Amino acid sequence: MADALSLNGASGGNSSRARFQAEAGERGIRALLSGAAGTSVLCVAGILGFLAWFSLPLLQPGQLAAVLSWTWQPTSGRFGILPMAVGSLLLASSAMLLAFPLGLGLALFVNGLGPRVLAKHLGALVRLMSGVPTVVYGLASMFLLVPLVRASFTGTSGFSWLAAMLVLALLVLPTVTLVLDGQLRLVAPELRLTTAALGLSEAQSLVRLALPQCGQGLKAAAALGFGRAIGDTLIALMLSGNAAQVPHSPLDSLRALTAHIALVLATDSQSQAYGSLFACGLVLFGVSLAVNLGLRALRRGPRRAALSAHSDRPLPGLETAATGLAWASALLVPAALAALLGFLLLRGLPTVSLALFFGDTLPLDALLHGAPVFDGLWPACLGTLWLVGLAALFAVPVGLAGGIHLAEFATGRAARLAAFCVDLLAGVPSILMGLFGFALILLLRRTFWPSANTCLLLSALCLALLVLPYLVSATRAALAGLPQELRLTCAALGLSRWQAVRRVLLPAARQGILGGVVLALGRATEDTAVILLTGVVAGAGRPGALTDKFEALPFTIYYLAAEHQTPQELNLAFGAALTLLALTLALFALARRLSDGAWRPGT
Amino acid sequence: MRKPLLPTLLTLVLCALPAYAGELDAFAGKSGKIDIAGGTAHIPVMKEAAKRIMQKAPGVRITVAGGGSGVGVQKVGEGLVNIGNTGRALTEAEVAKYGLKSYAFAIDGVAAVVNPKNPVGALTHQQVQDIFAGKIANWKQLGGRDAAIHLYTRDEASGTREVFWEIMLKKGQIAPSANVVASNGAMKTALAGDADGIGYVSIGHIDQTIKAPALDGVHPSQENAKSGKYPVLRKLYMNTKGEPTGIVASFISYIQGPEGAAITASDGYIPTK
Repeated sequence: MADALSLNGASGGNSSRARFQAEAGERGIRALLSGAAGTSVLCVAGILGFLAWFSLPLLQPGQLAAVLSWTWQPTSGRFGILPMAVGSLLLASSAMLLAFPLGLGLALFVNGLGPRVLAKHLGALVRLMSGVPTVVYGLASMFLLVPLVRASFTGTSGFSWLAAMLVLALLVLPTVTLVLDGQLRLVAPELRLTTAALGLSEAQSLVRLALPQCGQGLKAAAALGFGRAIGDTLIALMLSGNAAQVPHSPLDSLRALTAHIALVLATDSQSQAYGSLFACGLVLFGVSLAVNLGLRALRRGPRRAALSAHSDRPLPGLETAATGLAWASALLVPAALAALLGFLLLRGLPTVSLALFFGDTLPLDALLHGAPVFDGLWPACLGTLWLVGLAALFAVPVGLAGGIHLAEFATGRAARLAAFCVDLLAGVPSILMGLFGFALILLLRRTFWPSANTCLLLSALCLALLVLPYLVSATRAALAGLPQELRLTCAALGLSRWQAVRRVLLPAARQGILGGVVLALGRATEDTAVILLTGVVAGAGRPGALTDKFEALPFTIYYLAAEHQTPQELNLAFGAALTLLALTLALFALARRLSDGAWRPGT
Repeated sequence: MRKPLLPTLLTLVLCALPAYAGELDAFAGKSGKIDIAGGTAHIPVMKEAAKRIMQKAPGVRITVAGGGSGVGVQKVGEGLVNIGNTGRALTEAEVAKYGLKSYAFAIDGVAAVVNPKNPVGALTHQQVQDIFAGKIANWKQLGGRDAAIHLYTRDEASGTREVFWEIMLKKGQIAPSANVVASNGAMKTALAGDADGIGYVSIGHIDQTIKAPALDGVHPSQENAKSGKYPVLRKLYMNTKGEPTGIVASFISYIQGPEGAAITASDGYIPTK
C-alpha cells in the first residue's frame, strides 16, 4: 500500500489536487473491496450466530442430555439426534471409502496408467460428472438403483444406507479425482524425465515416486470429499429411507443430519424438536470447520515428503495393483454413470415436447401473454431463471470484489481471517444456508418486520451465500495466477494499484473470473436444499413478485419423484431432470472452456 | 362452531347446484394471493380448486405446498401462509396459542395399504399393530409369501400418522426401522413400487396402484368410514388465523360449496356438506 502511494508521488506533477482526488477515490474503492471481502466473515458469523442463538435453549438443565440421546420420538418427548449424527458419519465415511480408491484409480489412469486416448476422454467424463445435479442422481437412483437393491437382497425395501452410499460415492468422486489429478499433474512431469533416464516404467514412476509425493493431496482429497459427502442433503433424503435409527447393516434404512433438518423443519417453531434442529446444524457446522482446519494444517505442513523415505520398501506388485485399480475404476465409474444417465435419457427423452413445458396451454400464449401454465415445466423454468439471476445479482459483485481484495490488497490478520471464512463458507452444507434463511424470517417477523415471509428474494439471498465463496476463490485464483511481472510493469509505468487492477490485471484474468461466475451459476441452478426451506413450492405458477413463493426445476424433480400421482406426472419429473441436466452441463462446459482459455503468457 | 349454519348452507347448496360455474364469479376481477401449506391429503383438492380459480381470475395467485398437518398449523399460526391444512382436528393448545379457526370440508379414512401384488387381503386390528411394532416381520406369518415386511411410516408432522397411530395402533410403538416418507403421495408412490411394503394413507389416495386389505372384515372405503363401520377416520380441515377475509374467505367458501364438494368427491373424499 505504502509503495503504491509513494510511486504515485514519485510520478510527480503539477496537479496535486487531482492527485489527491484520485487517491481519495482509490481509498474509497479499496474500502469497498475490503468491505466485500468482509462480507464472507459476516456471513459465517451470521450463520454460526444463528445456530448458536437458536440452540441456546438446549443449554437449560437436562435439555442437552435429551438431545444427545439415542431415541428420536417427538410424540413421546424424546429428541435424541445421535442416531442421525451416526447416520451422517457412517454414510459419508462409507461413501468416501468407496470413492477414494476409485478416485485414485481414475487419477492414476488419466496420468499415465491408462492409454492416452482413453485417458483424455475419461478426464472429460469426470469433469462432466461434476456438473450432474444431485437431485438428478437422486431421481435416477430412486427408480433404478433402489428397486435393484430391493430385488438383489432380501429384507430391504431398497431405500437404504447402501443405495445412498453408492450414489453419494458417485457424487463426491469428481471432487476426489480432480484434487488428486491436480496434485499428480504438479509432480509427475518433472519426475518423468528423470525416471525415464533411470529406466523406470511410467507405472513405476507414478506409483513409486509421484504418488508418495502427493501425501498432502491424498489427505486433502479425502477431507474435501468427506466434507462434500456429509453436507449433501438430497441423496440421503431421497434414497436412505430416513428411519431415525442406527443401522445394523448397509441394507438398513438410516437418516442423515441434513435430511433430518429437511424433514423436521416443519415442526412447531417453539418446540424442542425445532431447537434440536439447530443442534444438528451446529454439529454439521462443526464438522465442516474441522475439515477446513484439517485442510489448512495440511497446506501449512511440509510441501513434499522426502524421496528417500520410500525407497527402502520394495512392496513387489505395487505397479500391477495400481494398474488393476486404475483399470477397474476406469471401467466401473463410466459404467455406473452410463447406467444412471442412460436410464434418465431413456425415461426422459420421450417426454420432451412442447407439452412437457406448457401443458395444455398454447406456448405462444404462455410466452407472450403470460397465460398460466398447469402440468408443465414452464413456471419452474422461469422460477429457476429468476432465482439464479437474482442470486448472481447479489453474489457476483460482492464475490468479485472480495476476490480482488484478497488477491491484490489484503494483508495481515484480517486478510487471513477473510480467506479462512471464504474457505469455511464453501464447506458449509447448503441445508444450513436454508436453515439460516428460514430462521432469519422467523426472527424478522417477531421483531421489526411482521410481514416478512419465505419467498423468491430470500431463496436468492441464501443461494447467493452459497455461491459467494466460489466466486471469491475463482477471482482470487485467476488474479493470483497472473505472472508477477505484470504487476511490476504496471508499477513501473506509474499506475496506482487500483489502476493496475482495473486496466491490466482484471482484463488479463477475465476468462478465469468468468469461468468462476459461470460455475457459480451452475451451482445455484442445481441446488435444492437451500430453496427447500426458503420458499419454493410445487404449484405457484409463473414467478410474480420477489416476495412470492415460486417454483424451481430441482424442487419440481424432488417433489414429483416422491409425489407423482399419475405416470404422466412421473414423466414430467424425468423431463425436468433432463432439462436441468442439460442446463447445468452446458454451464459447466462453458465454465470449463473459459477457465481453459485463462491467462497464458503472450496472450 | 359453524353448526347452526349447516341447514342454511345445505339449502343454499341445493339451490346453487344447477349453477356450478357461477361460484367462480366470486373471484372474477379479484387479485391477490393465497398461500396454502400443510396436510398432504388435501393437496389434490387444493390444486384442482386453485387451477380452476386461477384460470377464471388471472389476477389471483394460489400456491399449494405440503409438509404435513404440523406444518399447516405452524405456518398458518406464524402467519407464513393464509391457509394451513390439517388432516386432524386442532388441539386446544394450538387453537389457543395461535387463535386459529377451522373449516372442515371432507371426511377421510386412513387405511393400512400394501402393494397390489401382495396376496394378503385381510388383516385384523391386532395384526396391523403387531406389524407396525415390528413383532410380525414376515408376510408368511399373515398368509402371504415368504418375504420380510418393509415398513413405511410418516414424519411426525403428519396428521395421517397421528390419526393412524392413535386409532389404529392405539398409540402403540412404530418400529424405528420403518422408512419415513414425507407425504400421502410419497407413501403411495413408495408402496406402488415395493411388493413387500406396508404403510398407511388417506383413503382418498387409494387407487389401482396400491391396495387396502380389509380390516377386521371391513373394507376400508370412504362409505364405510362415513357410516362408522370403518373406525379409522378423521376430517380434513382448512385453518386460518382469525376470521378469513377477502379472497381467502372466498376460497374457503368455494371449497365448502358445491363445486368444491364435487372436486372433493372426485378426488375420493366424502364432502362434509
